[in-house]
Amino acid sequence: MTLLDRILRPSQVAHAHCDGPCGVYDPASARIAAEAVLSMAKKLKDISGDDLAAENTKGRYIAIKEEQAQIAKDELLILWTDYFKPPHLEQYPDLHDTFWKAAKLCSQNKVEVNVEAAEELMAAVENVHNIFWATKGREIPFYRAG
Amino acid sequence: MTSKGGRVFLTALLVAGAIRGALTIRRYARYGVVGDSMAPTLLPGDFLVVDLRVASTHPGDIVLAVDPREPGRVIVKRVASLDGDTVTLRGDNPAASTDSRHFGPVPASQVTGRVVLCYWPWPRRRVFRR
Repeated sequence: MTLLDRILRPSQVAHAHCDGPCGVYDPASARIAAEAVLSMAKKLKDISGDDLAAENTKGRYIAIKEEQAQIAKDELLILWTDYFKPPHLEQYPDLHDTFWKAAKLCSQNKVEVNVEAAEELMAAVENVHNIFWATKGREIPFYRAG
Repeated sequence: MTSKGGRVFLTALLVAGAIRGALTIRRYARYGVVGDSMAPTLLPGDFLVVDLRVASTHPGDIVLAVDPREPGRVIVKRVASLDGDTVTLRGDNPAASTDSRHFGPVPASQVTGRVVLCYWPWPRRRVFRR
């Protein structure tokens, strides 16, 4: 079998190629981080009391919110700069604006405790999700874990 | 076949066969598939016969083309559509394919062959008809 394989083996190769690491881009990672931001903003708003326990909880929620807002931004930038290519821009002329505004929302959510801004970020991520999967010709419904 | 006519006929047949063989050598080439982007139609390790004489391509054809981003490399993709002198190429496995969605349509002149059959592995043998 291996001898036969060697005899039959062509000397030239045709690449059914794919830029590595393809197939691993997914707006889901941005969505999970944005959801965490939204959740933390909501929880922060509802914290009452100013004892040490409440202060500690607030501090932890703030830290998580800022960290996740940064992760959301990083994930969006990866999609923007690595996944999306010039032909996509022709298809979606406001692609740059979409990502720029989404990244700005990440910054705003990092700085503020703002449920409304967190919802806006979720909407921006949903928009990116829809564009992303449309470019892949797949219908993947947007969903939230929370 | 001892008559003179028979010998002439046989010789003619041999000459025709030799010419045909010579043409065949130039016309067809064998290629091995590397990569997943044409799955499940073509899998890594599939051996193909490619018709190098492509007068025209049609949507649906599986073709070889010069990689627009790395001219030394040959890629295998399916023709999605034709637009004048350009060809839009797609992988059958879009989730794992870099193709015209990324590098745009390629000039038709860069299409160098059409895949006509897969001959190995034997259970995967298949003729690609138009």
